[in-house]
Amino acid sequence: MPSPADLLPFAAAGLVAGLALLWRGLAGHRTAARIGGTATSRIATLAAGEVRISGTIEPAEVTLVSALQSTPAVYYRSRVSGRLGGDADELLDEERAVGFVVTDGSGSIRVFPRGATFDVPWRYAEHDDWAGSTPPGLSPRTGPGYAAARPDRDAQVAALLTVRERGDADDLAALLGGDAFGTGRLGGWGGLTLDGESGGRNRRRRYEEARLEPGDTVTILGRAVPFGTLDDPAHADLAEMTHLGAHVEADIAADIAEARAAGLLAPDAETAWGNAAIPGFGIGRPVSEPDLDPRAGVLPLATEDEAAAAERTFSIPPEALVLVASSEVPLLVAAGVPGTATERQQSRFHLGLLGAALAIGSAVVLALGLGATLG
Amino acid sequence: MDLLAVAAWFAVAIVVMVVAFLAVATYNDVVALGQRVDKAWGNIDVALKQRHDQLPALVDAVRGVLAFERNTLTEVTRLRAAYSPTDPIADQAATSEATTAAVKSLLAVVEAYPQIQSSANVLDLQDEIERLENVIADRRELYNDQVYRYNTTIAQVPAIVLAKLLGWKEREFFLAQPVERRPPEARLETS
Repeated sequence: MPSPADLLPFAAAGLVAGLALLWRGLAGHRTAARIGGTATSRIATLAAGEVRISGTIEPAEVTLVSALQSTPAVYYRSRVSGRLGGDADELLDEERAVGFVVTDGSGSIRVFPRGATFDVPWRYAEHDDWAGSTPPGLSPRTGPGYAAARPDRDAQVAALLTVRERGDADDLAALLGGDAFGTGRLGGWGGLTLDGESGGRNRRRRYEEARLEPGDTVTILGRAVPFGTLDDPAHADLAEMTHLGAHVEADIAADIAEARAAGLLAPDAETAWGNAAIPGFGIGRPVSEPDLDPRAGVLPLATEDEAAAAERTFSIPPEALVLVASSEVPLLVAAGVPGTATERQQSRFHLGLLGAALAIGSAVVLALGLGATLG
Repeated sequence: MDLLAVAAWFAVAIVVMVVAFLAVATYNDVVALGQRVDKAWGNIDVALKQRHDQLPALVDAVRGVLAFERNTLTEVTRLRAAYSPTDPIADQAATSEATTAAVKSLLAVVEAYPQIQSSANVLDLQDEIERLENVIADRRELYNDQVYRYNTTIAQVPAIVLAKLLGWKEREFFLAQPVERRPPEARLETS
């Protein structure tokens, strides 16, 4: 039978884990109260201010391509962790979101995900087998991280016929494995290099991915504001959890304000972005003639119907309400109907109470162990 | 100091912390629920006011042609005048429901007159009034849902303890009294 002194490391770990579970559980309790305490508004008759809506996700202009399963999504979090001996390493932790639309049968509303908190359970969680083979279902992204929400047939054919070299800078498959095992480089947040020693086949990896895809049901709590009041819609439309830090964000905002005051910023989107300001350019058929290098291939223009659809997609009336994060009302995007989202958070709270019990038990064992060790 | 005593104090601290957290969180939750009820009521009030402002324009636009539909027009005008944002919620709900019924009668009568229907002005007003009626119906539902959440929370443990201590009372639903929920009389007098 182990002596109390032998249990010291386990008791210390139990204490830390219990307190962490308790902390997470208390946060879950707050979130559950927030979701459960707000009635669901119908989108068609939404009033400005804090609201809760629930509906189905529809893509806006573009979707993301998830990192591990190459699935079109409006949000994903992909994580790859490896274990060599007793040490666990996080090899990839990428979390991205792009603006999307939610419809509830009465109407639809655009969601700008910048600053949002996502509560989305893992949809894919697998690990390498003992022989080091990758698990079924793993299909790392090969190509751009963005795709047109309504893909153009010709563009899809062209993409299918494009031969990509393994090891392209944005080729996640090459970065994660295959021939590049041991020499590949993981870009993104960590910028980690898998050297031959630590990244070889003897490392057993765990792959996890949470996603929100078009067609999924989602519950959102946030602030409804007129689109015209957004300072920088393009900035609000993307969420990449890069953790730049408040001082960096403040510096950027100050630089923009200074440039604006000095008249250095372009007066309109066309002047600033050129062809990129043309709806449909780059991700479908442009609605007007772009200014191209004479040597470039001529792009087919959108038909009248396609142009009208593209204009509708790209223009949001200034008075239309959109959902955003604000300092007073954080934006919460949770997978599932409100009941499911609340239950998930309440489970966290119950787990947190068990964590409190674990912490107390561990503290008693720690005291006994320390008492025995110190005599 | 005895290490077991330290562990015991730690256990007590954890329990006290969790209980204090639940007490503070419950208080904050009920306050937030109350604020949401007030906000939901404010949103209904805005829509009622908008309808109050729009109705004279509709009545004026159709008055000439519907001169002999005096009862319908009079009823709409009378109920519009009865709107008072300072009345108790139940009275406002009764007035609102009666106004909705009268407006529906008026719109039904308007449907029967192609010469009015062809007027762009009347069509716009009709669309706007119908939109406002939908907004009022949805916001009433939202308000009642929010009141239900508030009333349920303060009747349950642990908020019921705080409710008794702090004198929190149930909020009123936006519902007309049963006696006033008669089906509207549509006076479709035609020449």
